[in-house]
Amino acid sequence: MNKRILFTLSATAAFSCMLGVSRPEVAEARIKLATLPDKEAVVVRFDHPHVVLVEEERTISLQKGNNTVDFSWAGTQIDKGSIVFRPADVNSKVVILSTSYPPGEAALTWSINSPDARSEKFRLSYLMANIQRETDYRAIVSKDEQTCTLRHYFKIRNWSGGTFDSADFVTRDGKRFEKALDQGEAKRVLVNKWDKVKLVKEYTYDTNRNYEGKVMTDYVLKNVKEIGLGTIPLEYGKVRIYQDDGQGTTAFTGEDWGQFTAIGDDMRLNIGIAQDIKIEFKKMVNDVENRRGNVYDTNEVDEYEIKNFKDTEATVTLVLRVQGEWEMQKDSEGYASFERIDNETIKFQVKAPPKGTPVKLKFHYKRLNNW
Amino acid sequence: MKTLITILSLLLAAPLLAKEELVTLPVRDSVQLTIYNSEDLTLVRERRSLSFKPGKNRLQFSWANTLIDPTSVEFQPVGEAGTKALEILDISYPAESHEMLIWTIDCKTAGSYGVEISYFTSGISWRAEYTGIVSPTDDSVDLTAYITVTNNSGEEYEDAEVRLVIGVVNLVEKIIDLARPRRPYPTPPSAAPAEDEPNLDRDDMRKMAKGLGGGSGRGEMERPKEIQKAGLSEYYIYTVEGTETIPTGWSKRLRSFEVKGIPVKNVYYFKPKDYGNQFTKVYEFKNDEAHKLGKEPLPDGVIKLYRDAGQGRLTWLGAVASKYVPKNEEIKVNCGPDAEVTMKERRLSLKKKDIAFRNNWLVGYTTVETFQTELKNFRGRAVEVEIHRVVDGDYDFDGGAVNWLTEDHRTKKVRTVLKPGETLKLDFTATIRHNENARKK
Amino acid sequence: MKTRWPMLALLLALSAPGLAAKEELVTLPKRDTVQLTIYNSVDLTLVRETRELSFKKGNNRLQFSWANTLIDPTSVEFAALTNTDKLEVLDTSYPAQSNQMLIWTIAADDAFAAKVEISYFTSGIRWNAEYHGMLSADESSMHLTSFVSVYNGSGEEYEDAKVRLIVGSIHIVEEIAALAGSARQGRQKEAYEGMRRADSNAADKKDITKEGLSEYYIYTVEGTETIPNGWSKRLESFQQAGVPLRTVYAAQPEKYGAALVKLLSFKNDEAHKLGREPLPEGVVRLYRVAGDNQLSYVGQVATAYIPKNDEVKVNCGHDPEVTLKRTRTSLKKESLVFQWTGNRQYLAGWDTVEEFKLELKNFRNREVEFEIDTYIGGDFDFTSATASTKIDFRTQRFAVKLAAGAKMDISYTVRIRNGTNIRNK
Repeated sequence: MNKRILFTLSATAAFSCMLGVSRPEVAEARIKLATLPDKEAVVVRFDHPHVVLVEEERTISLQKGNNTVDFSWAGTQIDKGSIVFRPADVNSKVVILSTSYPPGEAALTWSINSPDARSEKFRLSYLMANIQRETDYRAIVSKDEQTCTLRHYFKIRNWSGGTFDSADFVTRDGKRFEKALDQGEAKRVLVNKWDKVKLVKEYTYDTNRNYEGKVMTDYVLKNVKEIGLGTIPLEYGKVRIYQDDGQGTTAFTGEDWGQFTAIGDDMRLNIGIAQDIKIEFKKMVNDVENRRGNVYDTNEVDEYEIKNFKDTEATVTLVLRVQGEWEMQKDSEGYASFERIDNETIKFQVKAPPKGTPVKLKFHYKRLNNW
Repeated sequence: MKTLITILSLLLAAPLLAKEELVTLPVRDSVQLTIYNSEDLTLVRERRSLSFKPGKNRLQFSWANTLIDPTSVEFQPVGEAGTKALEILDISYPAESHEMLIWTIDCKTAGSYGVEISYFTSGISWRAEYTGIVSPTDDSVDLTAYITVTNNSGEEYEDAEVRLVIGVVNLVEKIIDLARPRRPYPTPPSAAPAEDEPNLDRDDMRKMAKGLGGGSGRGEMERPKEIQKAGLSEYYIYTVEGTETIPTGWSKRLRSFEVKGIPVKNVYYFKPKDYGNQFTKVYEFKNDEAHKLGKEPLPDGVIKLYRDAGQGRLTWLGAVASKYVPKNEEIKVNCGPDAEVTMKERRLSLKKKDIAFRNNWLVGYTTVETFQTELKNFRGRAVEVEIHRVVDGDYDFDGGAVNWLTEDHRTKKVRTVLKPGETLKLDFTATIRHNENARKK
Repeated sequence: MKTRWPMLALLLALSAPGLAAKEELVTLPKRDTVQLTIYNSVDLTLVRETRELSFKKGNNRLQFSWANTLIDPTSVEFAALTNTDKLEVLDTSYPAQSNQMLIWTIAADDAFAAKVEISYFTSGIRWNAEYHGMLSADESSMHLTSFVSVYNGSGEEYEDAKVRLIVGSIHIVEEIAALAGSARQGRQKEAYEGMRRADSNAADKKDITKEGLSEYYIYTVEGTETIPNGWSKRLESFQQAGVPLRTVYAAQPEKYGAALVKLLSFKNDEAHKLGREPLPEGVVRLYRVAGDNQLSYVGQVATAYIPKNDEVKVNCGHDPEVTLKRTRTSLKKESLVFQWTGNRQYLAGWDTVEEFKLELKNFRNREVEFEIDTYIGGDFDFTSATASTKIDFRTQRFAVKLAAGAKMDISYTVRIRNGTNIRNK
């Protein structure tokens, strides 16, 4: 004797789709709804970067022999193909025989065989669309810009059509929190807070970042234990930066998108333009040399005049680019150090004295074998 | 046959225009569906017992509102007695109906004979699906294969034997087009040639069907049905144990097999051609005995992988639409990019050499480029990575101490293991001869 | 106006966690203080308000709504200023029914009153700097007055607000007006139009203190301000008499166009009685004091941010009393080189030699300085009897002084090598 159990997601418009499995056109053949088991222990997992997996436990009373269980989810965004239904106990004698899908409905029917009459706990997992997640951060930087307090928030918005009266939400880094979440509701939760995180402030003039030759101010956080982080990979998200203004409050000093930062990696945040540092570029020499047929070399001297109008010395990083085959010449001068990052890119560190005293970086190079 | 569309009637009066007596025939004794997944094609064979009178019998077969291919409908007596007694004289497709045919059958000895009517229909399909649960340690997977049969044919086949054909058959016309009524040209009055179906002796098939059609009946069995697999020419036939009834519009998913503890390997690929410009985590296993599989090819279908997150809880890993996997072939499931394993390639230097001139004009040169690939594993465990690098033109590739393998004429690859937190730098040099420096091969 | 202010309400439903539970809504008293921190590089103002709130032991639900404002919902923050360790924000909920409201669930260890701060970003308020320079009759110095003007186009009236202005160019990745909802951008724009018209000229004698913060400066206006919606208010930032000025006539086509222009320059440093703070970007309007303390308008220029110790050049445009004329006095081709191709001879290389004359005239009754640049391309030689400076690989500059009423001619020769004559250095 088949016993029919119909259960639906409580959030749905739901009871409209009680189905007969064998004969859709014969209403009498349907076995009446026996129970509407409550969802137990709902877990909503965000550990995959793009999709949300919902897992719920349901206890179902089974009769000996074959049982039919209907599951419908009209109005919610469940990915039908992703549904995995199994007894919670891996050694259970209960067997799921087949799954039938009626035409044009967000529903299915399981045929389940039980060796005896029993109450069995099942796990039901599925992917649910339209549960959006967002990570954001708030950093409060100390007055001296040496450290910051970093708060990590996790925000979920539920457009899935389902309601979670109480669910365990699991973030990618394994943080769990139990919350209720209504359809359409968004919730923001503080999931991590790190104090006294050391940060490094850098001034960069990078020809690829192209802010009209302006010098950018960045904070660099290393996601490592040594500076107070390094517990979890930092998810992509907006970082809003405030600084202690020495007046008892803080001032907002800029925001940037924090890129995904694995443990051990750097997060670079641009806060704004360093208006007190100015760089002027001039090409002082641009000669053709060593001409062979249509092939020639060039001898070039680029001059960068750096003026730091601050009251203290600043180290400025200039990231410059030369295309093609080239060699730096030994009489280049004015830098504290340099590094050829790759064939096209060279990075100079220049110490700029305070109060607008200019310093000149002379970058002498030859471009070879041009045509 | 609730939605019964196919009516078989015996027209007792001999002259065509005479008033005919219509006899509705009993339900079919048995139905067998052979469903193809490469084409929208199902071969239906149904058997009935019919009483014939001596002389000419007219047998009408109609299929309004179905997706049956009229050119494929065939009539055949079953058994020695029937074969001796019955002979088809002609097949008529009456002008007034496009969804009907009449066989004129000469009967030598009156009696009841078993007959088989077979035809192609569209609208019934099947597909495979696979669900794998990877162990918490990422090294094995419990794989369950499912077969889902969907019936959109407009006809309900009750208690049908279901056989599924895996493989690509060649069809010159689509069944759905043939089934469409009011075709611009008359349908030729010959049935579809038997060669359209896989090379299979009819009797063999019948035997097979009989032998396998063991359990039956409406109710489900107490255990998941066996799905028998057998090779046949270029195809594989899956036969579902017992019979199935799938109402039109419905789908039914049956378990095909379940294998626990298949060893899997996960490899991070940097292979832009297949996975884009980032490391992608791929689970690999083989359809062979070493991986507890290899008993049959795996039909194309979606493979979904979950990971056991402990206490039987699942997390989602990824899905891939897998192609047909022959025996001994490798299966790769792409579980998406992983930002915690990174690759950065830098061109450390570019030099030009061997500049050749003719008439004071450059005609050839050679570039020597050194590259550094920096691999970083930010994960807390060792990962196996495979990197593919394309080099075009007439090149020499020097990987130094690293043994790069050749994937194809323009692709080099290397596989290595990165320890937790490890940064590995691989340097290589590509020397490319351009223009007239390129060697003629 | 005032009804648009964000509303704060305490929902007194401390036990029932469900959203559907019956809750009592208590609207809270007015804020104690408001502080506006206004940015000039982006359309953003940070509002902080403080209030005294009573908490019950357990979970308190605090509702904050901002219908019809330009507030960025993602920026709203709650912070306890007293009893900090006894209050914890458990979560922030943005209910489905309203997208202009949020509810904080705040756990309190005990029943007590606490001072709390609610902060958020709003758009629609801006400030800018303006400068007035009164030139002395001989243009050798000026009296500089700096103003800051605050424009309120936010749709709100901010009463008795403490106003802080941020000088500097901060980086933001999303516009606050967009985050606040595009539907209200139209209104904001209208408000801006309105406020331009309502530009008030009334100067106020409040002190503005300046302090550096990271790459920025904070200007804090003394006391509090009330700025009605649609209004702007101008406050004096500083005044400085006797700022020395230098006048240069420059011919620098890439910077100032083809004509000779008059540049008035000064430095933001102590020598120029300035240099206490950077000068925010803004419009500099120059006037000359004519007889009887009457003003005549000289010109105006929009300047970029001027750091301490940096120089400012105000382009006053063309001056008919100081002129420059450049003429080419000769053109010759020399050193022609031919090559044979087959039995025909072709020109392969040549030099062009051009002579130029610069005629400088000063009709003014004081000495003036000139800076005249010449751009030359290719492989060239530059010769002149007058001293010049190499500015970059293709630019030579004559820097000369000319007495009142004087004239001067400068000649120079440019030789450019072409074709095979280009030297292989």
